[in-house]
Amino acid sequence: MRLLLVLLLTLPCLARAQSELTVVGFGGGFQDAARRALFEPWSRATGIPVRDDSYNGEMARIYAMTRTRDVVWDVVMVEAPELARGCEDGIFQRMDWSVVDRTKFAPSTTSECGAGAVSWGAALFWDTTRTARAPKGFAELWDTERFPGKRALRWGAKMTLEVALLADGVPRDQVYAVLATREGQDRAFRKLDAIRDDLVFWRSGAQPMQLVNGGEATYALGYTGRVVQANAQAPGRYAMDWGTLLWSVDSWAVVAGSPHAAEGFRFIQGITELEPLKRLAAIWPASPAHRAFAEDAAIRAANPDAVASHAAQGLFLDTRFWVEKGEDLEKRFAAWAQR
Amino acid sequence: MRRIVAITTPLTLLLLIAPLLAVIPAGLTGGETLALPPEGLSLRWWKVLAEDPRWGEALLNSLLVGMGATVVSLALGVPAAIGLWLARFPGRGVVLALCALPLAVPSVTAALALYFGLAAIGLANSLAGLALAHAVLGVPFVVIAVLASLRMVDPVLLRAAAASGATRPAAYARIVIPLASPGIAAGGLFAFAASFDELMVAIFVTAPGAFTLPRQMYAGIREQLSPAIFAAATFVTVLAITLMWTAETLARRRVRGA
Amino acid sequence: MNDRRTAFVLITPLMAALALAFLLPLGLTLWRAVANPEFRDAMPRAAHLLRAWDGTGLPPEPVFAALATELPGAQAAQTLGAVTRRLNEERSGMRSLLLATARAAPGMEAPYAAGFATLDPAWADPATWRFLRRAASPMTAAWLLRAVDLAQDDAGRVIAAEALFRPMLLRTLSIAATVTLICLLLGYPLAWHLTRMRPEHARIVRALILVPFWSSILVRSAAWIALLQRDGAVNAALVGSGLLDAPAQLLFTRGAVLLAMVQVLLPFMVLPLAAVMGRIEPRLMLAATGLGAGPVALFLRVFLPLSLPGVAAGCAIVFTVAAGFYVTPALIGGARDQMVGSFVVFFTNQTINWGMAAALSALLLALVGLVALLSRNALRRIAA
Repeated sequence: MRLLLVLLLTLPCLARAQSELTVVGFGGGFQDAARRALFEPWSRATGIPVRDDSYNGEMARIYAMTRTRDVVWDVVMVEAPELARGCEDGIFQRMDWSVVDRTKFAPSTTSECGAGAVSWGAALFWDTTRTARAPKGFAELWDTERFPGKRALRWGAKMTLEVALLADGVPRDQVYAVLATREGQDRAFRKLDAIRDDLVFWRSGAQPMQLVNGGEATYALGYTGRVVQANAQAPGRYAMDWGTLLWSVDSWAVVAGSPHAAEGFRFIQGITELEPLKRLAAIWPASPAHRAFAEDAAIRAANPDAVASHAAQGLFLDTRFWVEKGEDLEKRFAAWAQR
Repeated sequence: MRRIVAITTPLTLLLLIAPLLAVIPAGLTGGETLALPPEGLSLRWWKVLAEDPRWGEALLNSLLVGMGATVVSLALGVPAAIGLWLARFPGRGVVLALCALPLAVPSVTAALALYFGLAAIGLANSLAGLALAHAVLGVPFVVIAVLASLRMVDPVLLRAAAASGATRPAAYARIVIPLASPGIAAGGLFAFAASFDELMVAIFVTAPGAFTLPRQMYAGIREQLSPAIFAAATFVTVLAITLMWTAETLARRRVRGA
Repeated sequence: MNDRRTAFVLITPLMAALALAFLLPLGLTLWRAVANPEFRDAMPRAAHLLRAWDGTGLPPEPVFAALATELPGAQAAQTLGAVTRRLNEERSGMRSLLLATARAAPGMEAPYAAGFATLDPAWADPATWRFLRRAASPMTAAWLLRAVDLAQDDAGRVIAAEALFRPMLLRTLSIAATVTLICLLLGYPLAWHLTRMRPEHARIVRALILVPFWSSILVRSAAWIALLQRDGAVNAALVGSGLLDAPAQLLFTRGAVLLAMVQVLLPFMVLPLAAVMGRIEPRLMLAATGLGAGPVALFLRVFLPLSLPGVAAGCAIVFTVAAGFYVTPALIGGARDQMVGSFVVFFTNQTINWGMAAALSALLLALVGLVALLSRNALRRIAA
């Protein structure tokens, strides 16, 4: 018993090695692929040990870390609204553009504190072995007579209110202008009310596939990467409508107060180079934020399922909008949901 | 009563183990989602478990933290429960409420509070800190369980023991502890289970690279709900059954030998 | 007296540890529910001058001047973000207003009042300033009010806000109470049976009760998904055996949530009950029978009252833990089954609004405590 206590008490002293970099992503298959294609090669080439951890977007941990000045995470992958907010709040360091080459990134995938990592998106998909007919676009998704069955959308305002407005005929470039007004929000909720009984909601990215496979939903809005992955195992089973794409960009950021910030910037520079990213795209349907993935015809042809190839027909989730209105609309959504 | 339990007991037990029965085949699925019946039988998720060292480490971390937390919460909680049972004093209700407080606070708030508390003493990113945090969360179980099992016992027994010449510590050792032992066992068990399954504090107070089992299961859930967690759960269940069976056999042997 | 002193000695270690490791940090965390430091920390002079102003009409020029200097300063120091978020949560639009002003302010000159008004008409509106004055005070009622679906209008009067948390809190307590009741109804006979069984059987049953403890709640919720989904095992059994024509909607229902929560919390009810019941002297029961008590009277008058401490302990644990649940309803509950805990997590982790998270936590705690108090008094009156 005493030995155990001593062991436990000495564990904090087994602190991190001198210059080991801690990289934190969202985990899952993508991170496993990134480890193989990006982190380990860079670590071998530079001799700097890299440890990668995962989190589920719990920003509170980063806020708490910076507040107590005991920063144990160095580089973090963050979603766009969290990046913007975190940068304003000073929990992420300003990106060192003298170390990271800003010109290689696709336009609008870099910001003050973030360097674009991957684009991700969600689109409507269904299981072709269960359903032959499918709606074309969101407007038809509301037609429960021609296309019976439950629809699975994301729990929350983000990605759901946009879908409602798109289904109601609002043009893509006006969605956020409409949603910014009270009337626009009411319009979105009224639209959702129309098929309320046929809606199911998911919270984690794993659920849409689960719902479709388990018979709980016929059509689902799900992350494109997951669908492409599933189709790799069972070719052609899942059909996806790229015209219903909603997408955004995740970025790499360095946590403020990290003792390994310098290595962190070098790391970001290293893993956003074209060659490692091409290796990554070969083993996982990722859509890196490197401009070649949007502009180079050969690379686009090699990665037909990358979000970047379809971004033009999709709706970009407006970062500013969600930073400003996020909390308010999430509350409104929850109030609507429980009515 | 006998007639009622003849029906309710099997049903209740079925309810208790239904998810576990589901977990075993679900962990053997060949597909990527949770399906019952499973989409083909395969050991691929068990292979993931065996090949990824993080799972083994997570299990070890959870066991270490759990044991540490249980020891501390018993060491603090059992004397306190005895003290509460021993004498009625003004403010007793308040003390009891405070002991139960960690249970009532929403886990994420407790996690945030404990993180800042541990940060003040430099243990915020360590397993030792996590064990201490879990000990705090386990204390209510210990106190409530021990108090419940002592409720029937009259403190006058102690005075009787004193009158017959027993010293204070002897009286406690020989009389109170044995009487309280079902409560101590139950409380310790709850405290361990609470620590073993605790997620929120583990998210905040994690040593880098040292996940506990629930944290490991939760990792990547934003991206995928991997059947590997079912394989892990099956393994842990088998481990638990083995441990409990061993403990029982040893206890029986000791009793028989005595 | 001796007893009291011993009790004091025995209790002190725990109390000291709790106070330092938990109560103090918890108090500081919950204090955020009423603390209002953001504005005053980021722009102290402006805040001070605002508080000094009486609140009528528009503030004097020094206030404008202070803001003109301190807004850009806060932005550079990266403290403006917290302020804009804090203000925006209470009054939508403040964020863009302050950010725009912070950007424009360095280019302005005295008198600033005119410059501000030209930039955005909101600066000429007394309501904006009344709000800012309130935001500059050391404490705020905004979070506690919002936690019960109230808000403050421009004049500081309390008005109703959209119904969100009150129904959710009531639902949380109701689900917790229902789960406690079901656990009691199922757990009491099981505990009784456990204490009457042959030791070999009792060992197996005890194992069956304890083994679920080792599997994570995440796993169990996921297992329920696999069991209850349309193509899951339960539906397959119901349809296969002819009880149903088509698969039923089992997932995303209140029933599924209750089922899953009971499965998790049942051991917490059974074990304390069994511990207490095991202590009840069989001789007491025999004596009562000897005195002519029938089985019903035996149970109601002798056994039940003696088992009450176990009932109280089990119910206390189950209710308290159930009230804090949120993972299970989130994964397998429907839109109308969500519990407060999920919002505490939302405010803590997503929007970093720790004031709101603290307010909801404090409210939940108070309600759970209230229910515990009321039921304790009710139990006493029944026992008497």
